[in-house]
Amino acid sequence: MPRVLVTGNYAAGRTLAMAGEANRRGLGCAAGAYPITPQTEIVEVLSAFDFTKGRVVPVESEHSAMAVCIGAALAGARAFTASSANGLAYMTENVFAAGYYRLPIVLIAVNRTLGPPWNIWVDQGDSLALRDAAWIQFYTESHQDLVDTILLAFRVAEDRRIHLPVLVAMDGFVISHTQMPVDLPTQDEVDRYLPLGNVPHRLRTDHPATVGGLTWPRETAHMRHEIQEAMDRVPAVLAEAIDAFEAVFGRRPGGPLVTLHTDDADTIVIGCNTIVRTLRRIIEARRGTGERIGMINCRMFRPFPREALRRAVASARRVAVLDRNHSPGSGGIFWQEVAASLRGRSDLLLQNYVVGLGGGDVTPDVIDRVLADLSGRTREAEPVWEEVAL
Amino acid sequence: MIEMTIHGRGGQGGVTLAKLIATSYFLRGGFTQAFGVYAAERSGAPLAAFVRIDSEEILNHNQVRTPDHVIVLDRTLIGPNIAFGMKEGGWIILNAPEPPEAFAKQFGGRRVAAIDATSLALVHSLGTKSVPIVNTAMLGAVLKVLGEPWEAAAAALSDLKFGGANVEVAREAFDKVRRVLLTGKPHAAAPPAERPPPLDILDERIGAPSPIRTGSWATRSPHRRQMLSPCSNACPAGNDIQGFVRALNESDPDEALAILLESSPLPGVCGRVCPAPCMNACNRTLFDEPVQIRELERFAAEHGRRPDAIQPGRDERIAVVGSGPAGLSAAYHLARLGYRVTIYEGGSELGGLLRTGIPAYRLPPDVLDRDIDFILSHGVTVERDRYVDRAQLLDLSHRYNAVFVGTGLQQVRSMDLGAADGDRVLEGIDFLDRVRHGDLSLAGERVIVIGGGNTAIDAARSALRAGAKKVRILYRRSRAQMPAIAEEITEALEEGVVIEELVAPLHVRRGPRVPDGEQAETLLTCVRMRLGPRDAGGRMTAVEMVTEDSRFDVACDRVILALGQGSDLSILPEGAEIRDRDHLLGLSGAPIYLGGDFATNDGTVAAAIGSGRRAAWQIHKTLTGENLRPAELPRVAGYEHMHMHVFTQAPARHAAHRDARQRRRTFEEVRLGLAESEGPAEAGRCLSCGVCNECDRCVTHCPEGILRRDGDGYRFDYDYCKGCGICAAQCPRGVIYMAEL
Repeated sequence: MPRVLVTGNYAAGRTLAMAGEANRRGLGCAAGAYPITPQTEIVEVLSAFDFTKGRVVPVESEHSAMAVCIGAALAGARAFTASSANGLAYMTENVFAAGYYRLPIVLIAVNRTLGPPWNIWVDQGDSLALRDAAWIQFYTESHQDLVDTILLAFRVAEDRRIHLPVLVAMDGFVISHTQMPVDLPTQDEVDRYLPLGNVPHRLRTDHPATVGGLTWPRETAHMRHEIQEAMDRVPAVLAEAIDAFEAVFGRRPGGPLVTLHTDDADTIVIGCNTIVRTLRRIIEARRGTGERIGMINCRMFRPFPREALRRAVASARRVAVLDRNHSPGSGGIFWQEVAASLRGRSDLLLQNYVVGLGGGDVTPDVIDRVLADLSGRTREAEPVWEEVAL
Repeated sequence: MIEMTIHGRGGQGGVTLAKLIATSYFLRGGFTQAFGVYAAERSGAPLAAFVRIDSEEILNHNQVRTPDHVIVLDRTLIGPNIAFGMKEGGWIILNAPEPPEAFAKQFGGRRVAAIDATSLALVHSLGTKSVPIVNTAMLGAVLKVLGEPWEAAAAALSDLKFGGANVEVAREAFDKVRRVLLTGKPHAAAPPAERPPPLDILDERIGAPSPIRTGSWATRSPHRRQMLSPCSNACPAGNDIQGFVRALNESDPDEALAILLESSPLPGVCGRVCPAPCMNACNRTLFDEPVQIRELERFAAEHGRRPDAIQPGRDERIAVVGSGPAGLSAAYHLARLGYRVTIYEGGSELGGLLRTGIPAYRLPPDVLDRDIDFILSHGVTVERDRYVDRAQLLDLSHRYNAVFVGTGLQQVRSMDLGAADGDRVLEGIDFLDRVRHGDLSLAGERVIVIGGGNTAIDAARSALRAGAKKVRILYRRSRAQMPAIAEEITEALEEGVVIEELVAPLHVRRGPRVPDGEQAETLLTCVRMRLGPRDAGGRMTAVEMVTEDSRFDVACDRVILALGQGSDLSILPEGAEIRDRDHLLGLSGAPIYLGGDFATNDGTVAAAIGSGRRAAWQIHKTLTGENLRPAELPRVAGYEHMHMHVFTQAPARHAAHRDARQRRRTFEEVRLGLAESEGPAEAGRCLSCGVCNECDRCVTHCPEGILRRDGDGYRFDYDYCKGCGICAAQCPRGVIYMAEL
């Protein structure tokens, strides 16, 4: 497993390509590809890869990029693509189709602010707008986390108990364009980790069928419920995928939640993406001075790990949720999910902080300000906006 | 953890430098991080990149705020606030031609290193002149300053596949970088200017310019220049062709005529007989077909109202000898300058060759009269039938303050064809003048015209109109070499004139007496020619053929010689010396200037007009010291300056012609001019090459909105212009150009 100094985009592109190449003895792979800042390097890396059985299909829009993935997946191929911001918004109709078709497609979302106003920097509003599309969603904190989660994503998506597409998000620029050391897998390792792709309802000439035709309400509700049941199985299947990952790669990626010092913490901060790395240093430092403080990295957003979260904050009296996203008229989107999960915890002060919108640089100072605000609170308030300059 | 901030401009390779530095530590087992601050910005914009180096995993992902070391890639970005937030003891590493000591004022008390990476990059052709890529040179300097071995730099370069010049500049910088601890006490650097509070999207102030002066990103900037349109450049009379055509396009024939009359008093004449070098130069020629400028000049002369004439207001008197186009032009321009002008004409009518040498079917006498009347209305007096010889010229120079001589080509070039009686052999110029007066009939005759110039064509066509049965032109070269105006040749052929190419006359003799007592026919012995090598002037020569049948006789009734004319220098006083072809030295009287064909033999009306105008300036300068001659010519807008994709092809509107069968026996004018509605339409085909006509295309296409109308011109806001060049690429006529900063 070679360690290289590369950008997040390069790491993601190579990992996607190797996952596709790993299906060369099966039905091959395909990627619909359309560039957008800050995702473009992924498309470049995919396009430069020499697939044994598979191809990158350049298209005229993100909508068509996902359409290519849907077609390829319905034919049984391993399918993947990547996009950002308004590209994801334009892709949306087919993102839903891929989810409801139950196709194990992997989509890399390089998080970028939806415009207008025009902005190319990180903000999770683009991928979180797809939360209801029947996709599993992961948010990654580092280059290594990104690479490992992409491999987990294929494994979970293609599991016969799941058959749902997976979105893997990274911070635009902060990960996508930053060079950091990462252990990239070898093709041999990926071959060993990923079984050949399997789409049971794929279209076959020897067994003609219609997929996704007209249904009555009862059939529709039934299929929706099946999706919920598959979502419910994700934590268990993910745990198996992590075990298998460790067996091949010798290291253990995180699960739905990654906790730090939560067991006896009375204050817990919840976040995701690169913000949790800055947070981690601060938590460790404050622990060193005796503060009973802990943190949770919420890696998986769909299905939302409600039960695990309830357990993780059992000891806490104050919980802060940091959201680099915002749902106008409500608040931070992770906060909404956390609040729904912790209903009934009347002993708990749960406060939402909206930080780093539009790519604001979340420095340790910002987090210190959040913690100071939290410790001074006597009751919950509406989400607090931290204005951060780029 | 060591943190570094790199300040550079887009295109200089700052992010790659961050990666090179990070790689040099990564390859030796360190944990590293390299990233830039990205924005939707183009080459030249100031930007920052960052490097972190640690012995354990790096968790921070925010931008570096308190760097250990600061690296500056661009000399123009060096300022006290680059040290803002810097930890103590770190290095400031500058790309600058100065030694580090030169920065004592800004960075007193700090450790500063400097290397002239720009020069190193330029010497090794890394990047462009405006944005040299300095990152590899800076890598060498940075690693040396930080105490790392050269091998660390070499390994990083090799890992990122940099070789050749990049390695050389890195090594040179590694060896040459100068380091110093500046004296003084470190003072806190000023924080970067704070941004104003964000605006509300519903705020009506939205739309104010950005507080970021994006003009500093530019490496080049747009500028405007007026060029000379190629038509105006080609006009020997100096007409502002683009200007008068534009006025016609704006349906203002009065203004069009006024513009023409600034330079030429003979628009009615030139609108008919000019060979129109302007149309050859017209950029539309390469696109579809030239704008019909000659017809437009005629149109302006016919439809425009002549302005009120200026009357003489000065005391100086000027004599003009000769009333051809050069003399008329000199008289006109001198009169407009206020001089009292007297024209001396040897004949009874004014106009010189325009009157005697150009047949009425090309130039009706009333058209010429109108132009001349306008000239005379400027208070110009005329002495008719006053032939001026050298004695009288000397006399004039003592009675006037200056004299202009424009007597044209009085010396007829002829050839001796041997014995011929009476009118059997005529000179073309004489023939045309006699035909004009109606005192020569060629009824039923076979006529031979010798020559290939305009006089030959005029003589041939006039012979037809004088009743000739058959007219043949013999020319020693081939048709392509004929100096006559091509259209005139075509019209002659349409009318039935026959052209025999590559034939030269040798001599005439009387044919055998015919029985019925009529005059015997004339036999012209000719020789066939072939084209030989080009002469010194680039013109094909004609060489006699020496085959058995190369000589032959042509039977005819009359031969007209049209071999050209030369200057008759006998008018010049003894002892006078011609200087610069245009004035005489060595005489005691007032200055004598020469012009027109007499001086230059350029052979066109337009050239004579230009010559007369220049002589008027010269005389004015001699008498007053004032120089009216325009300064050096601006650049000419060639096809390469134009952006032709903007234009659509459109066929020219041509003037109607009288039918050939109908016109060949009459001196009525052949060309009928453009119809009243067609003048402005044809003028609308003008591309206005090199001259801004305020089409606003630059304003519409400026993506930054920093270009706006300012009165009759345009203004660029260089504070915000990024130098994208779209305005220059969109300017249809090459007025806007980009210049490197």
